[in-house]
Amino acid sequence: MKKRRLIPVLLLKNGWLVQSKGFQFYQNLGNPVTSAKRLSEWASDELIYLDISRDEVYDLRRDDLGHENRRSFLEIIQDVSKVTFMPMTVGGRIRTLADIERRLSLGADKISINTAALLNQNFITEAAREFGSQSVVVSVDFKKIGDKFVVMSEGGTKETDYSPLEWAKIAQSAGAGEILLNSIDRDGARTGYEIDVIAEVSENVKIPVIACGGAGEWAHFAEILEKTKADAVAAANIFQYTDQSVYQAKKYLYERGYNVRPPDLLTV
Amino acid sequence: MNYCKRCVYPQIAVNLEINNDGICSSCGVFEKFKKLTPEFWAQRKKKFEELIKEISKNNTSDYDCVIPVSGGKDSYYQTHMMVSVYGLKPLLVTYHGNNYLPEGDYNRDRMRHVFNADHLVFGPSVEVLKKLNRLCFRKMGDMNWHAHCGIMTYPIQVAVKFNIPLVIWGETSWDISGMYEPEDFVEFSARARHEHSLRGFEWHDMLNDEKEKLSEKDLLWTKYPTDDEILKVGVRGLYIGNFFRWDPNKHSKMVQEKYGWKPREVPFERTYRKFSNLDDRYENGAHDLLKFIKFGYGRASDHASKDIRDGYMTREEGIEKVRKHDHVVSSDLNYWLDYVGMSEEEFWRVADTFRDPRVWRIENGAWVKDNVWGTSSAYGPVYLSEEQSKEFNKRQKNLGLKNNGK
Ligand SMILES: [Zn+2]
Repeated sequence: MKKRRLIPVLLLKNGWLVQSKGFQFYQNLGNPVTSAKRLSEWASDELIYLDISRDEVYDLRRDDLGHENRRSFLEIIQDVSKVTFMPMTVGGRIRTLADIERRLSLGADKISINTAALLNQNFITEAAREFGSQSVVVSVDFKKIGDKFVVMSEGGTKETDYSPLEWAKIAQSAGAGEILLNSIDRDGARTGYEIDVIAEVSENVKIPVIACGGAGEWAHFAEILEKTKADAVAAANIFQYTDQSVYQAKKYLYERGYNVRPPDLLTV
Repeated sequence: MNYCKRCVYPQIAVNLEINNDGICSSCGVFEKFKKLTPEFWAQRKKKFEELIKEISKNNTSDYDCVIPVSGGKDSYYQTHMMVSVYGLKPLLVTYHGNNYLPEGDYNRDRMRHVFNADHLVFGPSVEVLKKLNRLCFRKMGDMNWHAHCGIMTYPIQVAVKFNIPLVIWGETSWDISGMYEPEDFVEFSARARHEHSLRGFEWHDMLNDEKEKLSEKDLLWTKYPTDDEILKVGVRGLYIGNFFRWDPNKHSKMVQEKYGWKPREVPFERTYRKFSNLDDRYENGAHDLLKFIKFGYGRASDHASKDIRDGYMTREEGIEKVRKHDHVVSSDLNYWLDYVGMSEEEFWRVADTFRDPRVWRIENGAWVKDNVWGTSSAYGPVYLSEEQSKEFNKRQKNLGLKNNGK
C-alpha cells in the first residue's frame, strides 16, 4: 500500500519566511531558504512552498548576513531548490502557463494554483495538458460561513459559490492531479484539522488529497490518517518550533503503526 | 523610517513587523503576554514540570541539565529556578569570550559558590579570538560573532559529550522581535542559532581569509553537533521564559538580594541600565555601536522599548533615553581598538560600509537619519570613498527609497 505522506509547508511573505494565523496575522521567522534546508535534512516526504505576498516587494531588510537577501520570488525558489532533496510544490501568484513553466524550470516538481483556477477552470486543463496532470495541484482554501463551508479565493479574502467538495470534483475533472485542502479558520489555531470536510472530500474524489490547517500536536496528524482517506497531511507553523520536527512527527506516527515512511535523517 | 507608536522601535529592527495601526509585532506579542492570568502561568508551570520530566527520563548522565551561563542576571535567574526551586543538579557552562568587565568576572565566579554547582568555563585561544574579532568586523560588521557562536554552540557540544538531554535557556526571542507567541512553545533550534545568532555564517566561512589565518582546528568550539548526535542524546533546549513570566527589572532585584549579584557600578554610556552585558565590554561599546551605525538604533532603544511595555517608563521618557544614549561613541570602543590593534579611522571606514540605505542617507558629507522624535539629524561624517558613496546612493535608489528619508 502506498505510504501516506507528511508534508511541511513553508510560507513566504515579501521575502520572509513567516508563520500565519487565520490568514491574517503573520510573524516573520527569518530567512526563506534555511528552513527548507533543515526540512530536507530531516527527510520530509515533500515540501510545499507558497508565496503569500500581496505585492512584488521582497526584502529581508538585512544586507549584512551570510544569507543572500533576494529581491524576487523566483530567485528565492532557485535558492531553495539548491538545498532541498525532496519533491517540491511551488504555489502563489501563478496566473499564466509561463508562470508555471518558470517555476518548474527553477526546480519545482509541481505547482499549486488557487485563485487562477477559480477564475478560469480551463487554466487547470491547459496546465495539465502542457505539464502533465501529476504536476498540477489545485489548492482549495475554505472557511465556515454561517453553517456552510465555502471555498475562498484571493488569499482567503473573496467568497465563491462552491463548497470544498463541489470545487474539488470540478478541479478533478478539469485535470488537477492533486488537491491541497486548507482550512482558513484552523490556520494557526493549533486545534486540529477540519476532519469532516477532509473526510468528505477525500472519500469522494479519486485524486490524492493533502490535508492542511490546524496542526497543534503530532496527534492531530494521526487523527487525519485515522479518520480520513487523505493521502497526505501537511502543516506549516508547527514544524518551525522545534528541531528535528519532521523526524519527531514521523517517529510518532511510525511507532504507532501508521503507514508512513520510517523516521530518518537525510544522508547526502 | 517608521517607528512603532507604542514603543520606540524602528521598522528596521530585527524581524519586526509594524501593523496597520502603527504598532509593532514586538508590542503585539507583549500585549498577549500581559493578558495572561495567574491561572495561565500555573498551567505553564505544570507544563514545564511535565516537560523536564519527559526529557529527563532518557537521561543517562549524572547531571540533570546544562545551563549556559554568562554570569549575568539572567544566568542567575535560570540557575535559581533549576537549583533553588526545582532542586536539580545542573552543569553550568560558560563560553568565555575574553571581554568580561570586573563586575562580570565577580558575578560569574560567584555562581558556583552560591548555587553549589559545578561550573565548566571554556575560553578559546585569545589569539584566535582577536583574529575572529577583526575578521568578523570586516566581514559582517560584528566583532562579536565569536561570542554569539560560542554561547549557542559550546553548551550544546557539552550536552552531547556529557549525555545531558536537557538544556535550560532564559528568555525567548519572541518579545524582542515578535517572532513567536506564548502558545508556540518554541524551543532552541539550530536554525535560529544559524540564522539569527550567527547571522548565517558558520566556521567554514572563517577560513581562507587573506589577513586572518584560521584553521579548522582553531574553530573546533564553533561546530554545532549533527542532528544524529543531538537525537542520540535527545538534547532539547527549553526557554524558561516560555513558562515563567519574564521581567528583567524584577529578576535583577531578586538576584541581587538573594545571591549578592552585582550590577555595574559605573553607568554605561550607551544605555541607562546597569545590569546588562557585564560579561562583555565590547557588546555594549562596540558591537551595539555597530547596530546603531548599521540600523540607526541601539541598546537604549531595546531597553526603553522593553521598559515602556513593562510600564517602567512612558514613551516620552523612553524617547529621551534614546536621544541621550543610542548614538554615543563610548570609551569602550577604544578598549576594543587597542585589543585588536586597529585605528579609529580604519574602524569608521569599515563601519560606514555597513550603513543601511533603508535608514541612512548622505547629506553634505554627513550621515543623516530620521529620529523617533520626529526630526532628522546628522550623526557624523561619511568615511566612504567617493565611489563607495555613489554605490551607497545607488543601492538606496534600487530599494525604491528617495534621498529624502521616506
Ligand atoms: Zn512597539
